[in-house]
Amino acid sequence: MSATANTTGAQVRTQAAAPPRGTSSPRAPVATSAEGRSASLATRMIVASSILALVVAAVFAAFLVSTIELRHSTGRASHSKDVSIAALQLEALVVDLETGLRGFVLTGSPRFLAPLTRARKELPMRSSGLIRLSAGEPRQEQRARALVGDIRAYVDDYVLPVVRIARIDSATARGAVATIEGKRRTDEIRSRFDRFLKIDSRRVADSVASANGTADVAIAIGAAGLAATTLLVLAFGLFLARSIARPVREAAEGAKRLADGDLSLRLPGAGPGEVGELTRAFNSMAESIQRGRTELESQNEQLRESERVKSELVSIVSHEVRTPLASVLGFTSLMLQHDFDEEARRRYLGIIDSQARRLAQLVEDFLDARRLEEGKLELRREPVDLGALLEEEVELFRGQSSGHELRLEARDGSRSHVVLGDSGRLAQVVANLLSNAIKYSPEGGAVDVSISGAEGWVSVFVRDQGFGIPEEQHAQVFTKFFRGDAATHGIPGTGLGLVLSREIVEAHGGEMGFDSSAGAGAVFWFRLRSPD
Amino acid sequence: MYGTYATVLRGQVNSAQSAGAPATDRWMVLICEDEATLRELVRISLGGDDYEFVDAADGVSGAQLARQLQPDLVVLDLMLPLRSGLEVLEEIRSDARLAHTRVVVITASSNRREAVLAAGADRFIRKPFEPAELRMAVEELLDKR
Repeated sequence: MSATANTTGAQVRTQAAAPPRGTSSPRAPVATSAEGRSASLATRMIVASSILALVVAAVFAAFLVSTIELRHSTGRASHSKDVSIAALQLEALVVDLETGLRGFVLTGSPRFLAPLTRARKELPMRSSGLIRLSAGEPRQEQRARALVGDIRAYVDDYVLPVVRIARIDSATARGAVATIEGKRRTDEIRSRFDRFLKIDSRRVADSVASANGTADVAIAIGAAGLAATTLLVLAFGLFLARSIARPVREAAEGAKRLADGDLSLRLPGAGPGEVGELTRAFNSMAESIQRGRTELESQNEQLRESERVKSELVSIVSHEVRTPLASVLGFTSLMLQHDFDEEARRRYLGIIDSQARRLAQLVEDFLDARRLEEGKLELRREPVDLGALLEEEVELFRGQSSGHELRLEARDGSRSHVVLGDSGRLAQVVANLLSNAIKYSPEGGAVDVSISGAEGWVSVFVRDQGFGIPEEQHAQVFTKFFRGDAATHGIPGTGLGLVLSREIVEAHGGEMGFDSSAGAGAVFWFRLRSPD
Repeated sequence: MYGTYATVLRGQVNSAQSAGAPATDRWMVLICEDEATLRELVRISLGGDDYEFVDAADGVSGAQLARQLQPDLVVLDLMLPLRSGLEVLEEIRSDARLAHTRVVVITASSNRREAVLAAGADRFIRKPFEPAELRMAVEELLDKR
């Protein structure tokens, strides 16, 4: 488990040093990109791959080191065994020496000298072998040299002299002193061997234990490294899937839905680096397409509306032109084909004349509208008695419309209300209001006209008993060609009169307005400054 | 109810001739038209001797007079105050007592021909019109009866 601890250290480092894994959460890249610190996707991939490669390399290096260490330990253990074997063989030679010597001394038979002689021959080789094997470990080598020295001393100082004595006098050789001395020496050699072997066997055990430990560590590092690498590869794959594959797939699906017409679609989150750019570019593209579509739709709507107004205008103009034209052409044709008496002829010519003038006025209205648009309306500035002007116009309309009652009243009792202005244009305004009031009032209805002067203003009011103007149409009343519900009520007109009237009044420095609700008739008014 | 504009006019153009013919022998023609000069033009175009004219200046009185008088022929404008000419036409065509009534629509609108004929008008004449054209159309319609 200590080996796993080592690799967890590496894992922790990887996690800490690997921002790409953190960026798989959708919020992180938005924040970093907002701060302008978002690393490019390529950089992130290279960093992640490098970290993965480093971790894998570290794990394998650790594994390699452990394996080499294991081999080394195994070598040491095997070497220790060789040293032990060499020591045991040398001890066996010492035993052979002692046994041979004891047999010869006790029996006097040269037969016992054979193992002794063989042991003596082998002794130098075995001794130098042990010293050579112990050479790697100075203290053990020292012990081996001491051991070899003891054995050589035992042979030279005891075995060989005792053999020589035994050849001459076997009884002396069998003496207690010699026996005791022999035993002392061999005991000492044996105890040296014991110590040497004990130390050596401890070293063997140490080496084996060290080799086993190293093997355990190598296995642990290998297993943990395998697990860590697997986890890292999985994490890397997950990172690729979550931060690249998924946003790219979403962008692809989004593009398909966008192509199918779902323009309100926006992709969630942003993703890291280039993927984030892709997502943001997609969203901005969708937004731009949607904005373009909305603009196009609105332009289309305006175009349709303008087309509708145009078509309505054509129909209005056509109707307004055809009606007087029908009278002009009809009566002309009749007069060309039939003989009428003088009175009838005069009457029909009068109709032709008035209807032709109506046509001319129509053309004039359109030209006025055009002049107003271009700011070319010219006004005279002369004193005009608005009260007298009202009287004239009311009288004129009374003559034309027998079906309505026209009442004129001066609210302040004064007959004279002088303003500065263009009498022709002001008459046009009054005529327009009267004509509208009559057109929009039912037959037999009353039109009330009143005038009053107060606080430097002269005000004119024209009240009708028509069907009124519903609240929702108020804003359009002074719009060119707007006729409200007039067409459905069969009321003729171009929708220019009120626009022209207000422009004329405003060109005089005055104001014009109205007050009306559906079904309750309407009061149109205008006021002009009275000169001091 | 507003006072209607309708007035009954008896053969104004040639009163000498029309005075001799009995009222029951003459065709009754209802003119629904808000422009007074055009009502007059229609009357003169048809010639007064065979007709008894009734005028209506808006759609409401037009429909009312059609029901009351059951005229032989209605000259109908489409753009009428209060009620549109098309509504008046539909009312005439839905009244079984007016099955014999011929309807000539005269209008300044240029694109209503199909709708007007589909609604049961016998003729569709555009303004401006030739007086002789109207006279021939009316005579043709009344002779067919």
